[in-house]
Amino acid sequence: MLIRLTVNDVQYERDVEPRLLLSDFIRQELALTGTHVGCEHGVCGACTVLFDGEAVRSCIMFAVQANGHTLRTIEALADPSGALNPLQNAFRNAHGLQCGFCTPGVLMTLTPFLRDNPKPSDAEIREALSANLCRCTGYQHIFEAVKLATRSALP
Amino acid sequence: MPPEAPYLSSRVLRNEDARLLTGRALFVDDVQLPRMLHVAFVRSEYAHGRLVSVDTAAARRRPGVVAVYTADDLGEYLKPGPVLVNPPPIQGHVFHGCTQLPLVKDKVRHVGEPIAMIVAESRYIAEDAIRDVVIEIDPLGVVVDLEKGLAPNAPLIHEHLTSNVAAHVIQKKGDYPEARRRADLIVKRRFHYDRGASGAIENRAVAVEWDAKSEEMTIWDTTQAPIPIRNGLARMLGLLESQVNVIAPFVGGGFGPKIMMFYPEELLLPWAAMQLNRSLKWTEDRQENFFATTQERGQIHDAEMALTKDGRILGVHDVFLFDTGAYDPYGLTIPINSQCTLLGPYDIPSYESEFTAVFTNKTIVTPVRGAGRQHGVFVSERLLDLAAKELGIDRVEIRKRNLLRPDQFPHNHEIMFQDSAPLVYDSGDYLPTLEQAAKLIGYDQFIREEQPRLRAEGKHVGIGVACYVEGTGIGPYEGARVTVEPSGTVRCATGVGTQGQGHFTVFAQLVADALGVSVEDVKVVTGDTREFHWGTGTFASRGAVVAGSACHAAAMAVREKVLDLASRVLNAPKEALELAHGRVSVGGSTDSGIGLGELAGKANPLRGAVRPGTEPGLESTAYFGPDRGSTASGVHAIIVEVDPETATVAVKRYLVVHDCGVIINPLLVEGQIHGGVAHGIGNAFYEQLVYDDQGQLLNASFMDYLLPTATDVPAIETAHRETASPFNPMGLKGVGEAGCIPTGAVFAQAVEDALDGSGVEITEIPLSPNRLFELIDAASRK
Amino acid sequence: MNLSGDFTFKGPRATVFEILQDPDVLAKALPGTKTLRTTGADQYEDVMKVSVGPMMAAEFVVKVEVKDKMTPERFSMHIDGKGALGFTKGTARIELREQPGPITLMNYTADIQIGGKIAAVGQRLLESVGKMMTRQALDSLDKELQTRLRTS
Repeated sequence: MLIRLTVNDVQYERDVEPRLLLSDFIRQELALTGTHVGCEHGVCGACTVLFDGEAVRSCIMFAVQANGHTLRTIEALADPSGALNPLQNAFRNAHGLQCGFCTPGVLMTLTPFLRDNPKPSDAEIREALSANLCRCTGYQHIFEAVKLATRSALP
Repeated sequence: MPPEAPYLSSRVLRNEDARLLTGRALFVDDVQLPRMLHVAFVRSEYAHGRLVSVDTAAARRRPGVVAVYTADDLGEYLKPGPVLVNPPPIQGHVFHGCTQLPLVKDKVRHVGEPIAMIVAESRYIAEDAIRDVVIEIDPLGVVVDLEKGLAPNAPLIHEHLTSNVAAHVIQKKGDYPEARRRADLIVKRRFHYDRGASGAIENRAVAVEWDAKSEEMTIWDTTQAPIPIRNGLARMLGLLESQVNVIAPFVGGGFGPKIMMFYPEELLLPWAAMQLNRSLKWTEDRQENFFATTQERGQIHDAEMALTKDGRILGVHDVFLFDTGAYDPYGLTIPINSQCTLLGPYDIPSYESEFTAVFTNKTIVTPVRGAGRQHGVFVSERLLDLAAKELGIDRVEIRKRNLLRPDQFPHNHEIMFQDSAPLVYDSGDYLPTLEQAAKLIGYDQFIREEQPRLRAEGKHVGIGVACYVEGTGIGPYEGARVTVEPSGTVRCATGVGTQGQGHFTVFAQLVADALGVSVEDVKVVTGDTREFHWGTGTFASRGAVVAGSACHAAAMAVREKVLDLASRVLNAPKEALELAHGRVSVGGSTDSGIGLGELAGKANPLRGAVRPGTEPGLESTAYFGPDRGSTASGVHAIIVEVDPETATVAVKRYLVVHDCGVIINPLLVEGQIHGGVAHGIGNAFYEQLVYDDQGQLLNASFMDYLLPTATDVPAIETAHRETASPFNPMGLKGVGEAGCIPTGAVFAQAVEDALDGSGVEITEIPLSPNRLFELIDAASRK
Repeated sequence: MNLSGDFTFKGPRATVFEILQDPDVLAKALPGTKTLRTTGADQYEDVMKVSVGPMMAAEFVVKVEVKDKMTPERFSMHIDGKGALGFTKGTARIELREQPGPITLMNYTADIQIGGKIAAVGQRLLESVGKMMTRQALDSLDKELQTRLRTS
């Protein structure tokens, strides 16, 4: 099936099998390998991307569902010059990542969350983060990174 | 280390973060190779049975399938894997090393054992072809329960043996029977301690490129040990070690199972790549991971502790069973860790520990963060708690009375540790650690005031304090090469792999301090055999200690070369020279002097003569192998509130005071502790691999195998102490596993304390709300 | 997995027993059955499609052997099923008692072992699917019974 979609401001047209997962489409067809796959059943959140501005789990969606839609992946967060955005900077400053595998998914979950909740409470932050599994950090420094990010200006 | 070491023990931000935060870090599944084919495995659905036939005809006919291999296709390549860790030389021990074949030939011994390998144009087609393969298995009786597995008529998993005993080991010191006779109190219980999957968010993957023209093989592998993988594969494939490159790029969490070798996939993809002259990639999916990647599981301990009426431990006697799974390639590392770590920070004069490792029809067991230490700590800490209760002694007080004193170090426990050397604690100061933990958690005030007050309000609150000692930083050795490049950037290459521990920063700190450069100017390369090919790998909390010490040694050797050359170039005595900000200067003056990059250029002239014996460039390689491991230690404390009606447990506070010797980067150490505690909370409460009596794993997904989330892990308070290790130049100790070792013990203590008076006694982990409910219910009926 | 229970057929025991041995009736009654054929005396092979949850459906080939037949009181069934999503194996025991009406009280107990992919991720759903399929089968059989009684 022929699909047309926009990913990170670039328009694509591709012929794909109906059963091709959106996560595989992003990683293999588009070679955007920053989005990671951890479970393929929608629990860990590592595959989170923005679908028309909202966070979705690309491993439990099909590429054909993205036909006519707009996606944003981790590669689009930083400035084209490579400079980290304030959220990414906060993660670095607070040591909010260790192996980094879950990190793109965490950032993509947080991006619309913080857009809609610029001053979240501690409980709201923990609640939002509970959508993503991390085995390395114990979540504490991730939590502190979000606190740090919400204290400074956000895009 | 030079006198000025600005980076040591400072909270340096990580060099590697920018790439990871922007999705520009290479993980194995990101590897795309020209004309690459994809691999999937057909795996056994039975836990035990004879493989009668495998019919791959239909699979081969499927369009897009390039090849299908079974054991019969491997010829001489079909060999059982090596025993990776031979048992230490403990007198009288029994060990049957039974290892796995890359593809099943005669008999399947656990669900998930690979039977056929499918190579196809896409993973989707390869998985379609799995359904085409027709397999006939004659099921045999299944061994799942450890005690039933040892019964006389139990099904025999390895038929050349006479039972399912994989190993039997007894270690003793002192005279336990005498201790028992002299004791005023004997506390005896049966304990069950279960573990689980490592749960790394990245599953395993292998990508292989074989170039028949250049006769070079490059393998990307999520392994924690690229060098042994390279060496083993080269030998098995009939290639020179130098013809095989193994790269562990960024790896998404290791936690132990990624050092198991050789996984069938690691053996088969390179072989098939040579057969087909094509590049190949295999990526595990999560469900596969639950069967195909090793895990840790349970032990059953029948243990007793003999004490005086003052709570002094006279001796411990422990008999336990250890579940090793269908094969035992990792030897006895886990149960020996359990034996040794049971001793804890205590002065235990007499000790008898006996274990039997049992084969079961389940996935192979190899170390997962903690590697059997949890089990030992649980037994001794719980026995002490129960003794404290019977003797009417406070739980912290009874521990204080038994701690080893500083003048008792180094302390030789006489029994054998996993590194085949006697268990010797190198250094430690346990009383201040315990006192600090008790103070920070407010133990006395909680017991005297808060708890009685809250109890009067009908709240069930409890406090727990548990101690542990952990052997870290073991040999054999690691190496590093440090090079100053003409640009002034310093390159540091070492053989260990990195799975999130921050090696790109921590090793850079050590090198930067030695050479007076900034940490961002040190580029660290790990886990790439093209860059460095001597060493073993990342395991047992040894990276910073062993590889770090090697990086330090190599950097200090380069420092000497820098000073030697600069002394001649600047015409000044070495003692007058200073290294700072990437320059060598005389007496710190900023107008004279030379940059390190320029100096490196001078060290590698294109023309002219060099003095005999000169080595070109500013580069040195150094190796470090400690005499023995260094002993880290710590105390965890927790306050919980239990709702006896719903059996839910809320963690109010969690505190860790730990001693990992000299700290290179406190920010990263905290991260390791947090991650370890979270893993421990998962182990204590949420995680369990549930097998039915036919060896079927019933919860092979994250829907049913519950990793803790951000709302399950509390805020963790940490405090550091430093007792330097005498076994490496900087006094370092490991910290990677510390967070998860006493978590089960401290949970059990606090929950039991919260339910004090109800008759509930906790002798098992995990303690899910269901299970706790059952215990509360049962106690209420008594 | 244990599946046991009782069911009341509205008809005489002899007829109930008869339809329970009739492959044409069983083919219509057993949910998901594509084909059911007799492969020997008291031996059947049922190709059925089983759905467990929204994304898990596959074909199973289930061999059934009827044993310990004591017409018209009781019999056992040995079940051996294999499919792309796993395998099942087990035994079911059926007992029939006639009561005034006439109605027939059926008591069934089944001990089924399940393995493979379907066991690894379908646990929460397996028991409810098993119960539902049993219920559906028995209701269908009762309807068949009514048809047979009307036409005889």
